[in-house]
Amino acid sequence: MLAAGEGAAERVELESPPGPASSIARLVLGGIADCLRLGVDELDDLQLAVERLLAEARGPERVRLAFEWTDQTLRTYVGPLPEQPIAAALEASERARGELDLRRVLETLVDSVAIEQVSGDGLVVRLEKHVPRP
Amino acid sequence: MTTWSPSERARYDRKLLRRYHEHGDASAREALVRRHLPLVRSLARRYAGRGEALEDIEQVGTIGLIKAIDRYELSREVALTTYATPNVVGEIKRHFRDKAWTIRVPRHLQELNGKLSKAIERLTATLGRSPTIAEIAAHVDATPEDVLEAFEAGAAYSPASLSVGTSWDGDLDPMEMIGAEDAGFELADHRTRLEPALSGLSAREREILRLRFDEGLTQTQIAELVGISQMHVSRLIRRSLERMRAELS
Repeated sequence: MLAAGEGAAERVELESPPGPASSIARLVLGGIADCLRLGVDELDDLQLAVERLLAEARGPERVRLAFEWTDQTLRTYVGPLPEQPIAAALEASERARGELDLRRVLETLVDSVAIEQVSGDGLVVRLEKHVPRP
Repeated sequence: MTTWSPSERARYDRKLLRRYHEHGDASAREALVRRHLPLVRSLARRYAGRGEALEDIEQVGTIGLIKAIDRYELSREVALTTYATPNVVGEIKRHFRDKAWTIRVPRHLQELNGKLSKAIERLTATLGRSPTIAEIAAHVDATPEDVLEAFEAGAAYSPASLSVGTSWDGDLDPMEMIGAEDAGFELADHRTRLEPALSGLSAREREILRLRFDEGLTQTQIAELVGISQMHVSRLIRRSLERMRAELS
């Protein structure tokens, strides 16, 4: 959850079958980006990050998405996702650090990536993007 | 400014074609492309207003022109303009056929989608940053909801792009040929560290990925550098990453 002191957080949460999850996430992110006055570059980065994560997470029967934002930060939670292959894809070794793996893609597209919660069902990935000041 | 008669133009075209085909003079080929860009623009305008940005149609038409120049046989007794016209039109028609809307999208959204590239380009130049949804909506006289829907409708386009290597019957990606002599633009394979799944991508796609994920340029900055729209950069990045993932898995 967004920490106190960052302003009141708004939250949208939804669950979707995996097929349309990317499209739904794109539309919701579009609406939030409009509220936050994010530029299309930032919006597209966020949408692409979620798309890549969902594409990598082959297998979940239902996808849960949560979006939480203040006027400073937008966080997207995706999951629970199957631990493999997501965990492996996010654990870039030193040898692989130069490669265009999932971690590198996500870290370029958003300001921070973290595994927020590991449950019996799988793991939840948190993608955070700072809202640029006008 | 020199005014050329049609026969003088044809004679000079022929001279350039000879230099290119007989001596491999790449500058002659470039000159031929430049001389016939007005023809491409004129033909592209006929296909404007069909849900595709005019600049994208012109780029596709230019590919047709390049193909015509490359395929032209010096034994032909026909002017390059005459020979190139059906090639340019054919390339544009193929583009529309290949990029047919894969689901039914209302016409007003198709048309709005076609306006978004230009709107983003103009607003970026004016504002000096990537525009917001609300700014784009105001620019194209639509609501933010319509703009978001039109963006999403764009995803209903089949992902065929200007650089579909497998359907190109030459050795090079057409996008590479258009930008082959761009000042300051280096297809810097030697710098890329994005191996090995990158090898299945075209040089231009690899370069766009390098600019985004190695150099950290934004889509808008890449669009400006490479000379295509931000929306096209977005499509190429998506397609490239998806192809890489498919390759790796």
